[in-house]
Amino acid sequence: MLLNFDRLGWWKYALLAITLLTAAFLLLPILFIAALSFGSSQWLIFPPPGWTLKWYGELFSDPQWLASAWTSFKIASIVTVLSVLLGLVTSFGLVRGTFLFRNTLKALFLTPMILPVVVLAVALYAFFLRIGLGGTLVGFVISHLVLALPFSILSISNALEGFDKSIEDAAVLCGASPLEAKIRVTLPAISHGLFSAAVFSFLTSWDEVVVAIFMASPTLQTLPVKVWATLRQDLTPVVAAASSLLILLTITLMALVAVARKVLKS
Amino acid sequence: MSTYTDVASETAPTSRAARPNGFGGVMPALIFVAIFFVVPVIALLLRSVMEPTPGFGNYAELLGSTTYLKIFANTFIVSGLVTVISLLIGFPVAWTLAIMPTKLASLIFAVLLLSMWTNLLARTYAWMVLLQRTGLINKMLMATGLIDKPLALVNNLTGVTIGMTYIMLPFIILPLFGVIRKIDPAILQAAALCGASRWQCLTRVLLPLAAPGMVAGALMVFVMSLGYYVTPSLLGGTANMMLAELIAQFVQSLVNWGMGGAAALVLLVVTLSLYAVQLRLFGTQNTGGR
Repeated sequence: MLLNFDRLGWWKYALLAITLLTAAFLLLPILFIAALSFGSSQWLIFPPPGWTLKWYGELFSDPQWLASAWTSFKIASIVTVLSVLLGLVTSFGLVRGTFLFRNTLKALFLTPMILPVVVLAVALYAFFLRIGLGGTLVGFVISHLVLALPFSILSISNALEGFDKSIEDAAVLCGASPLEAKIRVTLPAISHGLFSAAVFSFLTSWDEVVVAIFMASPTLQTLPVKVWATLRQDLTPVVAAASSLLILLTITLMALVAVARKVLKS
Repeated sequence: MSTYTDVASETAPTSRAARPNGFGGVMPALIFVAIFFVVPVIALLLRSVMEPTPGFGNYAELLGSTTYLKIFANTFIVSGLVTVISLLIGFPVAWTLAIMPTKLASLIFAVLLLSMWTNLLARTYAWMVLLQRTGLINKMLMATGLIDKPLALVNNLTGVTIGMTYIMLPFIILPLFGVIRKIDPAILQAAALCGASRWQCLTRVLLPLAAPGMVAGALMVFVMSLGYYVTPSLLGGTANMMLAELIAQFVQSLVNWGMGGAAALVLLVVTLSLYAVQLRLFGTQNTGGR
């Protein structure tokens, strides 16, 4: 009876109340930021005395904010492409391969996911200082790729494991070359995995802040680093506007994933 | 996000050739991960025993000073608090989600996922503003007459705990949901038929059945909290620094790589041992940690 919602008696209302309050608690900051970014008060008074677009105006007229947003976008795009390509060949090797230590290797590839990011950040910072990649675009791409690759390998391997290889074999029997069969039969079949790999890689890089704080130089920083640096000085509503844009992009991409999952799987 | 890797993928693929193949595919990633992940981490840890002089001086200093021990203690206290509160809130929510009408449940799931995927800095910024002396939370508490002077909710333990719990809730609700979902309702019906009161059903049947999920989720939240950097450093005060910030400070402000590496090793050892415990107990692997 404890697992039957309608037969819980008054407990039902208590549980429902806790759940709805928790959902509100989770939603509150996100809505609050969006509201702040349109509020006219510089002192972040809520509810604001009036509504305005001036923080977005300030954001878009400041070359520093624009440059950091462009840097973020560029890095995330390059990371996405590399992560999917590398994830794809790696997944084929991991799923179809018959070599020793296959599972050990898979575990190694996924380790960056569980390591405290600050440890990785500091380690890469030290390493890049030595080899001269600190504060460079290449350094950013490499460090974000370390974090994005596990997501990519996981998504693509899972898709590939769910694909029946005999279909690919059938294509080869029907006269396709092994490569042609992979490109024209297998890739479309695992496209939902490739798509999630791309989106998760992009978001991992786009939202990443800890490693980026260490990678950044005065002339090259990503949007989250700019937000972080601004936050250390004051709580200006411009940050609310920047945060709202970060969130908007995330929601758009997550919605795309949800739609694509439905379309690609059917 | 929590990801459960397929431990059962051990089953050998249908091999037609006895010779190993497919290794070429993993080579590029292996080289990449070796150069840009394994080498830098090992190099950092090596510096902890090499700089400034070879030996374990850094570790002696780290574990012998009350300042640093206070930071370790604080890290464990915050992580423990966050874990316990997340569990207390998360269990009823996961339970409700598991038995709720689907439509409402999927709506709440959407909120959970949205919050999980919303930029961490953006959410932390929101709490910095919400918890200010003149912030919305203080204003609401004063308006309801619960307090007559604004409370100090930020730059202290309260701020970090609220901000971190907020971030960790989805990470405990989702695995707990999975566990409760799998419990057979017939077991609880049987308990009720045998005369158990609702309270007895909860404490002697449901909770024990959900316990593995609770331990797994709690372990994961605890481990993730130990290594968090952004939220504690923005919402906490100087008096309650956490381990991740100590590492960053050693490296960035003090340029003391030896001590930084030593503190990193301590964090790494604690993290990996707790993951090993989790893997041993539950055979699942989880992700996260910013």
